[in-house]
Amino acid sequence: MTRRLPLAVVVIVAAPALPAYGPALDTPASGDAVVNSVGMRMVRMPAGSFPMGSLPGTPMRQEEEFPRRVTLTRAFRIASTEVTQRQWLALMPSNRSPRQGDDLPVTSVSWKEAQEFCLKVSQKEGAAYRLPTEAEWEYACRAGADSPVGAAEIGAVAWYADNSEETTHPVRQKRPNAWGLHDMLGNVAEWTLDAYGPYPRVEEDKDPKGPAAGSTRVVRGGAWRSFPPALRCAARTGTPEAHQLPHVGLRVVQEIEEHDSIVGNR
Amino acid sequence: MRRGSRREFLTTAAAIGAPLLVSPRAARGSEANSRLTLGVIGCGGRGTWIADLFQKHGGYEIRAAADYFPDRVDEFGGKFQVAPQRRYTGLQGYRRLLESDVDAVVIESPPWFHPGQARDAVAAGKHVYLAKPVAVDVPGCRTVEESGHKAAEKQKCFLVDFQTRTDPFYREAVKRAQYGDIGRIVCGEATYFCGPTWGDQAKWLAEKPDDPEMRLKAWGLDRALSGDVITEQNIHALDVATWVLDAAPLHAVGSGGRKARTAGTCWDHFSVSFTFPQDVLVTFCSKQLGDGWDDICCRMYGTEGTLDSHYFGEVSIRGRQPYRGGKIPGLYQDGAIANIATFHDRITRGDFSNPTVAASVRSNLTAILGRTAAWRSARVSWEEMMSANEALEADLTGLRS
Repeated sequence: MTRRLPLAVVVIVAAPALPAYGPALDTPASGDAVVNSVGMRMVRMPAGSFPMGSLPGTPMRQEEEFPRRVTLTRAFRIASTEVTQRQWLALMPSNRSPRQGDDLPVTSVSWKEAQEFCLKVSQKEGAAYRLPTEAEWEYACRAGADSPVGAAEIGAVAWYADNSEETTHPVRQKRPNAWGLHDMLGNVAEWTLDAYGPYPRVEEDKDPKGPAAGSTRVVRGGAWRSFPPALRCAARTGTPEAHQLPHVGLRVVQEIEEHDSIVGNR
Repeated sequence: MRRGSRREFLTTAAAIGAPLLVSPRAARGSEANSRLTLGVIGCGGRGTWIADLFQKHGGYEIRAAADYFPDRVDEFGGKFQVAPQRRYTGLQGYRRLLESDVDAVVIESPPWFHPGQARDAVAAGKHVYLAKPVAVDVPGCRTVEESGHKAAEKQKCFLVDFQTRTDPFYREAVKRAQYGDIGRIVCGEATYFCGPTWGDQAKWLAEKPDDPEMRLKAWGLDRALSGDVITEQNIHALDVATWVLDAAPLHAVGSGGRKARTAGTCWDHFSVSFTFPQDVLVTFCSKQLGDGWDDICCRMYGTEGTLDSHYFGEVSIRGRQPYRGGKIPGLYQDGAIANIATFHDRITRGDFSNPTVAASVRSNLTAILGRTAAWRSARVSWEEMMSANEALEADLTGLRS
């Protein structure tokens, strides 16, 4: 105990010790959803703050999940399910999913095709639809929870390597999260809007949108072929945007005009 | 769930540490801003080598040293300016070191001693940096697992020094495989091929084969002190396999022997077939003899790709979703440097979740399962191994306490 460490070290290492934040007080009510003309049930997510990433000590944490407190200043709506093949074919010319069925999630779509689908939904609905940002996706996945789903529960909420029989399953068969969203973990992994890159080493962040450029996009949520470390709201991976993968699909969000106040945290 | 108890074993163990993160301020007052004082237990080749890395980090002061052999601890003490009154010898010398005021201990003794020394260090309120393997037998693994939990409860850091888990290429490749990038994992191979390794120890043992001190000095050739080659060295390859699969094996069948080695009691080659959950087969093969081929490899074959990893070479994924990966030229040293930095960081930050312990215990037990199957030339299940709880007895007669 003879020498003080440089201040910079202390500042950097202090960042992960964030307090745990609960859900926004304004949590989605069961009836707070609308069904659009494509048949998507869109659930309103309130503005709010949440701990994005993983605190050290969280089971199965990866180093890249450097934690920071993220505030989303605007409410949005997110589909309660992954985009199904029925919804996809209502607007797109073809379906390459290896296992086909109306209520199965669409897969084997590139990021650009996912973008194109969102554009078509926007045109049909006259509203702004898009892929979720990585932060929006994690916020919706956590639904106010700080900890990963436990090993004993994972089978109740997710189709994954241990229970999927090596294929996708119809959406909405597993238990939804606290905000009414199905298959956030498992079934198919989901494209997000953001380019893949390291998280900024900051304690707080507001409406993050990921790196400005990049052709590798963040994929979230794990899939029917994933192991438990990938089935966490904080788990992230990058996939080149041209790839069409049998375990990657999408879920859409809708921007809404109302401005929610930041209601604080428990 | 079909993967069964192996995965729960790790998850439960890891989860215990989760709530124990405390703020840096609460970590230990002055520790957050100060150099950590160290005691090194085991001042042989690796102990001296790693002490140099600790010193170069800049955040540590080596204040005490313990080794059975007085000449080793004196040489070490001279090199690292350890005061003569803080140099401890004999089998129990480490206990006197633990009574000193060091913040942390680095345990680099022969593996048979690890569980007891780590347990006593945690009891004495020290942070623990432990070399792999954590133990040579099942009771030892259980002791280390328990010590990791106790350390967390006492807000002490307990870090196991596996180098591959610090490598960003390994991490990325493993993460991608776990996400599904190589499809369904069907089978794999873990191999560790090297030369005789313990040339000096073989020479010492040949000079005085009946001398108990020489037997201790040549611990790498003693199956109880080292855990045999599969536990002491080959664990690197098996650790990657359990990491990728996020599981421990259900059973193993194996064999092996010694055909080139003349000194000591360790074997010089092993061959084991492990069955992991979902009938994923991992073939393991190792040799510690001869010339011409050195490699530490773990390769996992999936329906859509292959994860290929080499401790001294490239880590990559080939297949439909390739990952170019890369190579850290000196992982043996760079991995230790990374772990030394992490150890310091976790202590100063107050992160006592100790995530390396459960994973290290799992791969250690996997190596012990393979060894048990090989020694018996039979099929042995994980449950059978755990309920047998067999201890390896080291012969310490004739050694000074």
